[in-house]
Amino acid sequence: MSISSVIETEELTKRYGTHVAVDRLNLRVGRGEIFGLLGPNGAGKTTTIAMLLGLVRPSAGRAVVLGYEVQANPVAALRRVGAMIESPAFYPYLSGYDNLRVLAHAGGLPETRIAATLEAVELTARARDRVRVYSQGMRQRLAIAAALLPDPELIILDEPTNGLDPAGTAEIRALIRNLAAGGRTIVLCSHLLSEVEQLCGRVAILKAGRLVAEGAVADLLRRERGLRLRVEGDPARAAALLAALPWVHGVEQQNGALLVDAPVDRAAELNAYLTRAGVPVAEIGVNTSNLEQFFLEVTGDT
Amino acid sequence: MLGHLFAAEWLKLRKRPLTRVLLATFLALLVLYLGLWALVIALQEGALSGGRLRIEVLNAAQTAQIQRQLSFPGIFGAVLGQVNSVGGILAVILAAGALGSDFGWGTLRVQLIRAPARGLYLLAKLLALLLALLCGILAGLALGSLIAVVASAALGLPSSLDGGALLALGPGILRSLFVILPYVLATFVCAAFGRSALAGAGGGLIFLALDVGAGSLGSLGTVSDAVLFVVNLMLQPNINRLVVQNATLFGLDPTVLASGLDLTRLPSLTQATVVVAAYCALFGYSAWRLLARRDVTGAG
Repeated sequence: MSISSVIETEELTKRYGTHVAVDRLNLRVGRGEIFGLLGPNGAGKTTTIAMLLGLVRPSAGRAVVLGYEVQANPVAALRRVGAMIESPAFYPYLSGYDNLRVLAHAGGLPETRIAATLEAVELTARARDRVRVYSQGMRQRLAIAAALLPDPELIILDEPTNGLDPAGTAEIRALIRNLAAGGRTIVLCSHLLSEVEQLCGRVAILKAGRLVAEGAVADLLRRERGLRLRVEGDPARAAALLAALPWVHGVEQQNGALLVDAPVDRAAELNAYLTRAGVPVAEIGVNTSNLEQFFLEVTGDT
Repeated sequence: MLGHLFAAEWLKLRKRPLTRVLLATFLALLVLYLGLWALVIALQEGALSGGRLRIEVLNAAQTAQIQRQLSFPGIFGAVLGQVNSVGGILAVILAAGALGSDFGWGTLRVQLIRAPARGLYLLAKLLALLLALLCGILAGLALGSLIAVVASAALGLPSSLDGGALLALGPGILRSLFVILPYVLATFVCAAFGRSALAGAGGGLIFLALDVGAGSLGSLGTVSDAVLFVVNLMLQPNINRLVVQNATLFGLDPTVLASGLDLTRLPSLTQATVVVAAYCALFGYSAWRLLARRDVTGAG
C-alpha cells in the first residue's frame, strides 16, 4: 500500500453461496480525497464498505485501511475511522448524548469530544432528548456526529443526507467539504448523483459487484463530451451532412437535437459547414454530460 | 479495552427500562412469595384471629421450614432460591435483550466499528449482565431481610443473624450467579444464532424449560450407577446440587417442601461445579464463535 493511500483493496471478493456480491475489487483512495462509491441497488457498495469496516469477512482478497489489513488487525485499522453505514442505528431509550457516550466508552475515546461533535451537526439543543423522539433528519445528524467522534482520518458515509431537508442537506454538504478541507479522507455513498458530482473528486462505479468505472469526476465526464446542436430545418439532413465529415465520429439525434462526436474546438468550423450547406444552426455548444447520464450509461440502466 | 467496553455495556444496561422492569418484577414476586408463606404461617398459627381460627395445611416439619425461610438466616437461602428459579427466567430475558437488541436495532455494527474485538465485546456484555444480576440479588437480599424483620416480629419467629451467616452470603451469592450463568450463555448463543432478542429469549426459555424437565430423568438413576452417572452429566442435577448447597448453607432443608428431591442421587459439589463450568465454557465458546465468525449486516 502506498503511503498516500488511505484505503486499498486487492481483488476483494465476497460471495454468498453462488452469488458474488463483490467481485475482485481493486480500489485505491488517496489521503484527503472525497471519494464517491456509486452503483445501483445490489451493486455491492454496502458489502464493500462492510468489508472495509471489518463487519463482513471477505471470501477472497484483502482490504487495507490506514495502513493496516482490516481482517488481521481490525482494532488498529479502524481506530481513526468514523463511519455511518446504512440507516442510522441507535439505542432508542438513550438520549443522543448517551448514545455517543456509549460509543465513546466502547472506543476508549474521551467524553470531551461529544460536545464538539454534537455542535458540528447542530444537535446540542436536543442532545438530552431520547433518540426515540428524534426525526429521521436528527438521527442522520447524530449518526454523522457518531462518525466524527474518534476524530477520524477516514470518514465513510453511506447516504449522509438521507432524510434531511434542503437546508440540512446543504449544511451537511458544507460540513463534508470542511472535513475534507481539514485533510480528512471521505468516502461517500449516495444515490444523489448530483450530490456526488458536487462533492467528490473521484468516483468508482460498481455494477453487480464489479468495478465498471473509476476515475476523477471531471475525467469521466470529459470522455462523454462532444458537441450538441440544433438546426433550423431537417435534422436528418444535417446528420447526414455531418456524418460525411472525416473528423466526426458519430451523430445521434436526441429530442430534436444532434449529439455530434467531434472535437469541441471545431465547433465554429462545423457551424460554417452546415450554414454553407443551407442548414442554418440555431444553437451549438459543448455536450456537457452529467454524472447521472454517465452513471446510467455505464450501469446499463438507460 | 475490556474496561472501556464494560463501561459502555453497563451504561446501556443500567439505563435500559427493561432492566428496571425486570428488577421490579423480581422484587414483586419475591414479596408475593414470602408474603404468601407468611400468610400461610399466620393462618396456621391463628395469628390473624387471635388464636381462635387455625387453618392447618402444613405438617410440623414443613411449618418449621417455612418459619426458617421467613427469619434469619434462612431468609438468605429463600431469596437465593428465588434468584435461581424466577430470577433465572428474568435473567434469560435480560440477556436476550442485551445481546439480541444490538442485532435488532442495528447497533451491533456501530459498536463493532468502534470496538472491533468481538470476543471482548461479548465478555464485556456478560460482565455487565452479571453485575446487573448481582445488583438484583443484593436488592432481593435487602428486601428479604426487611421482610424477615417484619415477619419475625409479627409471627414471633426465632431469628438469629451471626457472623457465620453473613460470611456465607458471599459464596452463596457467587453460587447463585454461577447457577444462572449457563442459561445466560445459552441465551447468548440463541440470540447470536437468531440475530434477535426474540430468538434469544425464546431459545433461552425453551432451553431452561427443557432442562428443568430433564431433571425428572433423575429418577432413572435408581436403575444403576452407570445410568446415574450419565444422568448426572446433564445440567439440571448439577444445578440442583448447587441450589441445595445454597439452601443448606442457611439452615434450610430443601427436601421438606420438594418431596421428589433425592439428595443421595445428586452429584457431588465438586462434580456439580465442574459440570456447570463445562456447560458454561461450551455455551460461551459457541456464542463467541457465532459472533466472531459471522458477518454483521443491517438491522434485523
